[in-house]
Amino acid sequence: MPWYCTACNACTIRCPRDVKPSEMIIEIRSSLVENGDIPLAIQKALENTFVQKNPWGKPRSKRGEWVEKLDFKVPHISETKHKRLLFLCCVHAYDPRCMIIPVNVAQLLNKAGYEFGILGEEECCCGNEIRRIGELGLFEELMEENKANFKEYGVEEIIALSPHCMNTLKNEYGDMGIKVMHYTEVLSNLIKEGLLKPEKTFEKELIYHDPCFLGKQNKIFEQPREILNNINNVKLKEFSRSREISLCCEGGGGRMFFEVEAQYKRNSETRVEEAQEKGAEVITTACPFCVMTLEEKAVEKGLAVKELSEILMEVI
Amino acid sequence: MGYALIISEVRRGVFEERNLDAIGIANLAGKDAYLLIPEGNYNINGNMVDKIIKVKTEESMFLNPLIITGLITKIMDSSASPEMVIFTHSSSGIEMASYLAGKMGLPIITDISGYEKNGDIFFKSYYSDKVFGQFKKTKESPLILTVRSGSFKDFATDKGKQAEETTVEGLSGIEERSFIEYVEEEKTGVDITKAEFLLSLGRGVGNKDEIPKFEELAQLLKATISGSRPVVDKQWLPKERQVGTSGKTVKPKVYLAMGISGAFQHIAGMKDSECIIAVNKDPEAPIFQYAHYGIVGDANKIRDKLKDIIQGG
Amino acid sequence: MDILVFVKRVAATQEEELRIIDDGKNIDLSKIPFKMNDWDNYAVEEAVKIVEDKGGSVTAISIGSGESDEVLRRAIAMGSKDGILIESNETIHDPALRALAIYNFIKKENMQFDAIFTGVQSEDDQFAATGGFLAGKMGLSYASMVIGIDAIENGYFVLRRELEGGLQERIKIKTPCVLSIQSGINEPRYVSIMGIRKASKVERKIMKFNDYAGSGDAVIDLIRWSYPEKKGGATMLTGEVDAQCKELLEILKNKGVY
Repeated sequence: MPWYCTACNACTIRCPRDVKPSEMIIEIRSSLVENGDIPLAIQKALENTFVQKNPWGKPRSKRGEWVEKLDFKVPHISETKHKRLLFLCCVHAYDPRCMIIPVNVAQLLNKAGYEFGILGEEECCCGNEIRRIGELGLFEELMEENKANFKEYGVEEIIALSPHCMNTLKNEYGDMGIKVMHYTEVLSNLIKEGLLKPEKTFEKELIYHDPCFLGKQNKIFEQPREILNNINNVKLKEFSRSREISLCCEGGGGRMFFEVEAQYKRNSETRVEEAQEKGAEVITTACPFCVMTLEEKAVEKGLAVKELSEILMEVI
Repeated sequence: MGYALIISEVRRGVFEERNLDAIGIANLAGKDAYLLIPEGNYNINGNMVDKIIKVKTEESMFLNPLIITGLITKIMDSSASPEMVIFTHSSSGIEMASYLAGKMGLPIITDISGYEKNGDIFFKSYYSDKVFGQFKKTKESPLILTVRSGSFKDFATDKGKQAEETTVEGLSGIEERSFIEYVEEEKTGVDITKAEFLLSLGRGVGNKDEIPKFEELAQLLKATISGSRPVVDKQWLPKERQVGTSGKTVKPKVYLAMGISGAFQHIAGMKDSECIIAVNKDPEAPIFQYAHYGIVGDANKIRDKLKDIIQGG
Repeated sequence: MDILVFVKRVAATQEEELRIIDDGKNIDLSKIPFKMNDWDNYAVEEAVKIVEDKGGSVTAISIGSGESDEVLRRAIAMGSKDGILIESNETIHDPALRALAIYNFIKKENMQFDAIFTGVQSEDDQFAATGGFLAGKMGLSYASMVIGIDAIENGYFVLRRELEGGLQERIKIKTPCVLSIQSGINEPRYVSIMGIRKASKVERKIMKFNDYAGSGDAVIDLIRWSYPEKKGGATMLTGEVDAQCKELLEILKNKGVY
């Protein structure tokens, strides 16, 4: 049962006694991990992360391969002036569906003349999910390795592509003296400053889904909406449950690596149905896990899911 | 010209086809092929080898490395020692070959899938066939080999004359290791991880009504049905049939994926299959990156055509 | 029951493309992470399970560079009592050389055991020969592809070996013996990083490979590396549906499944 938790944090936010049930679930999982009493799929994800530094066991040497899809060179962080690091996240580095997200964001930053660099194959998993699975020792190792790199290259600012990475880098890595932001925060500023201009119109009816780790856990509600509302013709629709009470897509807390056995109506299905009722044609969000969990159900019902950067690429 | 002693593999009365690979490499290396086999009514083309040595014993003795080594040692200590002892690269082959090598202190190279006559060089797989190591023996001595199934059988040719036959005395059991019985792996329901040939279905098959038609195809092909998560979620197939991170990890000989686009959770569960064949409408489907063979097309159309061809003879 | 288990640290190359360098003399493994050989992981688990049930001890032994200590720590975290590293900085390709060194080590150090476990093969060289060679040299009974241990009675294992196509043979084998363990015999436990850190406190002995290498000559020599014939992604079957299907059936026939 503890493996059902998606680490959305709704319980902790709502708790009238400040019990922090989500932290208690991590502790329960942690003791299960120490006893080796864990689902096989979770075990594989942890072992993969131990060896290849990503839960899917993809080669670390290919972590930087996504840049081949760009027609300009992304420098290593050490070669940059401003020491702004684009922190990629394992999903963006390896998943064929999500690899487009870093490609898009890199193009947008480049277009706005906003300098950034990457760690390439030196980057390792941020550990956000690993900590929530309860493998605290492994989380520490990942954190130490990333922190050592940040220090070595004098990183001053981190632009995290995934809200999950952002969360742990910002709240759980301790005080590194580094400003950690989600990419939507950066892009929304660049749009405000006029460095990026969405010029074309977006013709389809759009609804925005708040990722738990971006919204309710880190209070970034406005920037993604500002970016979208800035696009010609867009009147963003809202779910009945949005912002602080947004319904989780069930992609967090290790659930991307492990599917629960039970047959029940997945939240993603509820979500897609509501989007449909509200007359949306496209669901947009700003988290790779949300994209993947929602898309599976959306496609069945004839809806599209687009990550926010995909929408922006269409209008800029 | 010396000879190669080939230890044949027989299972419940059948002379296994992989023996041909052992005969093939003996030919390729220019050695006469002497076949060691338990006495019995095995179906062998006697023209393919130069000599058949029948052992008055039962089949199970050929599964025992200790006993076989005793027999081979006797042959090797005699005046006419073979230049090679060849086993198939199988469960019993590797067991006997390595034991014999240790017992006699002889060089051994296993899982041979290539040979270069010039220089007497043997190719063996490293890292699951990502690279091959080219080996030579460094001392003048008989060489022990295990050969990969399918690698040399084309070189096992008819020599145009019937092999000479001799019979040697039987072997008796020993206390150190004894055969009890053959066991068929227990089957509780369907275990897709044990299947050699999976016909795996994805969302691309359309709807539940299509499933029985794939079951018919599976029956014709003698394949086992498995599926991706969406198909199981929709209860088109039972959970025990699911391949992927949330289902089972499978490594069949052939994985025929129909209508599966290849989400990474699915790929993780089947990418190590020996041969992956993908049928999908979308030429950009990620599964084609992992497949050995691909057909861009409608899974249901391909299914019906396959059935037609098979049933049409 | 006292069990010696041999464990190897191997490159995790499953998803990597390997590059041959130095004119065919070497493979570039410089950017590839290492891990415990999969089969050895099953062997350690099986040994630990036996000892948990019947008493005795498991000693993990690894031949390799100093870094192989990490697989010993892992084996200890899984339940081995201690670990021994037989240090060699050169890659040993010849299984005979490896097995002879183990033989000399066992004799010279007077190692006591009821059984020696190895994995069926290692992921790198896939020789599948070290266990058998060692057993033959030591004159011990041997079984490979062990997929189930059904009973342990005084002086015997009753076990199942995997043959092929779902067929197994059940045998009775006398101890002391050497068993090469097949993957899938059990579900190896998860060892946490905390567990491995704790295991680091158990002292591991370090021996020198050269002290046991004997004459040290490999009897086979790896002269060069080569790539397999290139497959290059999926071969697409084209043409009319009829032709595609016929070709597909032909492939199934060639693979021996239809």
